[in-house]
Amino acid sequence: MLISCNKLKSHIKNPEDIDWLNIWDTFTLRTAEVEKVEKKGDSFDNVVVAEIKECTTHPDSDHLHVLKVDVGEDELIQVVCGAPNVRVGLKTAYVRVGGHIAKTEIKSRPLRGILSNGMCCSGQELGISDNHDGILELPPTWINGKDIKEYLPIEDIVVEIDNKSLTNRPDLWGHYGIAREICAITDHELLPLALLPINNDKENLDIVIKDDNLCYRYTGLKISNIKNNQTPLDMQIFLYYVGMRSISLLVDLTNYLMMELGEPMHAFDARVVKNIEVGLAREGDTFTTLDGIKRTLSQDTLMIKNGSEYFGIAGIMGGLDSEILPDTTSVFIESACFNAAQIRKSAIKLGLRTEASARYEKSLDPNMTDLAIKRLAYLLQKENPDMVISSNLTDVYPHVLKEEDIILDKKTLAIYMGKKLEDTLVTNILEKLGFKVEVKNDYYLVTVPTYRATKDIKIKEDLIEEIARIYGLENFTPAPLKLDLTIAEHETIYNEEYEVKHLLATKYDMHEVNSYIWYDTDLLKSLNIEKKNVSVLGKEANNILRDDLSFSLLNIVRENFKNYAKFDLFEIGTIIKNNENKRVLSIILTDNELNLANVYNRAKDIVKYIFKVLKHQDVSFQNNENEYPYYDNDLGKIIFLDNLKIGTLNVFTKSITNKISKKKCIVTIDIDFDKYITISKPAIISQEISKYPVVELDYTIITNNQKYAYIKEVLSTFSSKLIQNYKLIEVYENKYSIRYTLGSYTKTLDQKDIQTFQERFISHIKNHNLNIIE
Amino acid sequence: MEEKLQKLKQELEASLKAATKEADILNIKSKYVGKKSEISHLLSSLKDMSIENKKKYGSLINDTKKNMEELINSRTEELENKSNITFDDTLDFEVKAGSLHPVTIMAKNITDALKRMGFTVVSGPEMESEYYNFEALNVPKDHPARDMQDTYFLDNGMLLRTQTSDNQIHAMENYGAPLRICAPGRVFRNEDLDANHENTFHQIEGMVIDKKITIENLLYVMQNLLREIFNEDVKVRLRPGFFPFTEPSYEMDMSCLICGGKGCPTCKNSGWIEMVGSGMVHPDVLRAGGINPEEYTGFAFGFGLTRLAMMKYKINDIRVLNSGDIRYLSKFNIE
Repeated sequence: MLISCNKLKSHIKNPEDIDWLNIWDTFTLRTAEVEKVEKKGDSFDNVVVAEIKECTTHPDSDHLHVLKVDVGEDELIQVVCGAPNVRVGLKTAYVRVGGHIAKTEIKSRPLRGILSNGMCCSGQELGISDNHDGILELPPTWINGKDIKEYLPIEDIVVEIDNKSLTNRPDLWGHYGIAREICAITDHELLPLALLPINNDKENLDIVIKDDNLCYRYTGLKISNIKNNQTPLDMQIFLYYVGMRSISLLVDLTNYLMMELGEPMHAFDARVVKNIEVGLAREGDTFTTLDGIKRTLSQDTLMIKNGSEYFGIAGIMGGLDSEILPDTTSVFIESACFNAAQIRKSAIKLGLRTEASARYEKSLDPNMTDLAIKRLAYLLQKENPDMVISSNLTDVYPHVLKEEDIILDKKTLAIYMGKKLEDTLVTNILEKLGFKVEVKNDYYLVTVPTYRATKDIKIKEDLIEEIARIYGLENFTPAPLKLDLTIAEHETIYNEEYEVKHLLATKYDMHEVNSYIWYDTDLLKSLNIEKKNVSVLGKEANNILRDDLSFSLLNIVRENFKNYAKFDLFEIGTIIKNNENKRVLSIILTDNELNLANVYNRAKDIVKYIFKVLKHQDVSFQNNENEYPYYDNDLGKIIFLDNLKIGTLNVFTKSITNKISKKKCIVTIDIDFDKYITISKPAIISQEISKYPVVELDYTIITNNQKYAYIKEVLSTFSSKLIQNYKLIEVYENKYSIRYTLGSYTKTLDQKDIQTFQERFISHIKNHNLNIIE
Repeated sequence: MEEKLQKLKQELEASLKAATKEADILNIKSKYVGKKSEISHLLSSLKDMSIENKKKYGSLINDTKKNMEELINSRTEELENKSNITFDDTLDFEVKAGSLHPVTIMAKNITDALKRMGFTVVSGPEMESEYYNFEALNVPKDHPARDMQDTYFLDNGMLLRTQTSDNQIHAMENYGAPLRICAPGRVFRNEDLDANHENTFHQIEGMVIDKKITIENLLYVMQNLLREIFNEDVKVRLRPGFFPFTEPSYEMDMSCLICGGKGCPTCKNSGWIEMVGSGMVHPDVLRAGGINPEEYTGFAFGFGLTRLAMMKYKINDIRVLNSGDIRYLSKFNIE
């Protein structure tokens, strides 16, 4: 929102002792974020009032005129001018030779052969309006040769306040509210607004509110005999500076009031007004708004109706049929208050967000409507002394919003502030902001003005915020927490996740990725896989939540194959399965398809390593029943920790893999991280080492098409007191080398012990349909 | 005699220098100090010498032999230490290194700093109920945040959480007061993607509840946290904000690290970046968590981990973070 400092000054007593250029940093810290502070009126100089004394057409042009203007000097000055509104007697703005507009110097120069000394200019050329239809028309009473900056509020400071930081402050959507805030910050006095008193000695207008939950108040007034519809120049400049277009006095006044008080108003041509009714639209009806666009209404659009006709979309925009015309002399002024959520929803639905709807969305104070009309009438009368109030100030206000009291106890205030504040300080801050305060022994009885009550101030903590921000956050001393060393309960999940991530990145050189919680629709399509799961409402693509982390990562896998022949990556993320959040660790290993065996075994090693190092436990792998069609049926494994199913190891089928990248293999590990964090580490108990030497024996077992799992089973059924451990050390074709470590805690093994072991072992192996190289 | 001994020693030194194998040394050893060596002859000839000469040469010959043996031993050791494997010792391969996601690194830095202030780390679900995401946090039914335009609602009646603040309620329910927690996590907003906007990003939430927690405590934690994260004297400013779940509420801005506060597109030319939303916990939120606001006060804060990571690592396109593109991510080696 744009704020003019000239306007603020008009509402504050002794505004000259405020530093208007630098107050805004403080304003940002006390109230709302200021995005920009801009000085206005310094782009031109030497622009003075000039009266056209002679006006002749340029001999060599069809639109230029040669003027002789009086700028308060002895001699008239010759100026060539292209504006259509030149005429003898007109007073306008003239830039002297050597003066500047838009920071460019004006020189004497011939225009089509006739010397032009200086320039007459339009409002747009001066940067004080967007009007470029002709040169400025100044009042006849102004003295020739006087700098127009002495007459017009051209020098100003315009401030842009971030709208987002005003969302909870309906009172700050007008200059008067901002002025009140400045008064509180700088300890100044806010001046009351001049109003026109209205005697209700005429007829009431016919106004009906159909739904008082949607329209809280509707105030109307008819004024007639309006002859002057010309907006004064200073008001035009103000409106231009705050981003509004000047149209005509009546329209400009409603905008002026919106900018001054924050109350959106509407002026209808009184000739067409019959009876006003505020109610909902019929579904599917159409209505043409002021901007000339035909809009389709729905049954929850709140409308202003005139007789049986739609008149305006409540709180958003008026209709084309009732707009103020050049010959309008009497108006119906509307000042109303609507339900904020209703206006917001309608505005979104219609795709029409206006200055008015932006304000209504913030929950305006219904007590402002009559004030705004009296203020508008006052300003209109200044330009139209003969105007006639032709109706009662008609006010439909079913449930009057009354001021409420809040008890603010001094104890709570002191806790929040970290210190006790003087009563006078608290009272002054609150009173400057418009609150009434009664100081009691232990508490303050605070009356909240209704312009703060609609949204912002409801409980004592809200008052504490007011006090704290005006007191100044920079006046607080940051204080560390007093540490209570009681051991706190904690969750291990964050640490455990980090531990695993760190291990995978440092030991296995993997890359951590983050992906989306939903499946990529294009991926599903390209793989011809259908997924059914919880989905996002109103989202057409990428709307199905993932139930398999590794599968959802294929997107990322595909992209990386464009740059890398092989890579390893992982993510710990959420999937949604059976309507529940589940945390999963997914590891993806990729390589050339010929290296599948290597990659597969590496995947197993990684799983074993994670559990061995981080959980002190051994996992086992068992064949998997195939849950998803895109995983290879034979190679899938379930990872078990004792009897707990902790995860899966899978290989994407060849056809899926080929669609991702040709001649590759993709091996995945998915660990159920919810279960992972519940696994406690078994205590490590130190083992005594035998004093006697151990003997290592290597055997090479030859299989007849059996897998290692079979050998393992055979080995597990062979027992001997001498065995300390055994392990697979090498595989070549169908030859498996096993290393046994033998030893005793009571003696050094002799040749006979070993001989006996050898014989028993070899016969055990041979008895199980395996061969052994002796 | 002296000359002779001197000559022997010089001969030995020369042949040792020429020797390259252990076998050479053995030959040399037997030739110069072995039983049949000249020095051994000289030693055995001592007994035939006059007492005077015995005295004169005995120790000289012995010392020379000892000396020669030392020379042989030291050369033997020298040859033993010399590796017989030769290779190019100037090779220089690129080192393979994994990477952690920048957001993970950022979360670790922040939780580490918070842990030093006595915070514990908790976590909450990404698919969340309206109650925990909005209602319990005092967000009224007609609040714009609850529109479809901003929130991803799901067909099972749940939603994807829009903020990590749901952790406030979970933590209060799980642990009660006093409380000192932080919760990094992923959140979702219905946004169109561009260089500055993502629909999926990370935040971290913090909450402290105890008797007599003050605004001053909030200020201390906020200011020191940002200083810890950036390891430099970042300028911060606190200004009034508005969040339904805190009262009073504050926005914390940090001087823009991209432009150093001069103004740039990242900070929309203001020189400041909105970094943290914070405030004193709203009494309704305390009540929703089962905590009596007359007895306890607290503060809470939440800020964008993703945004912080972008600031810290000068990442100019947010979309990189969820792309999984190893070309970018591999730069983030573990800190």
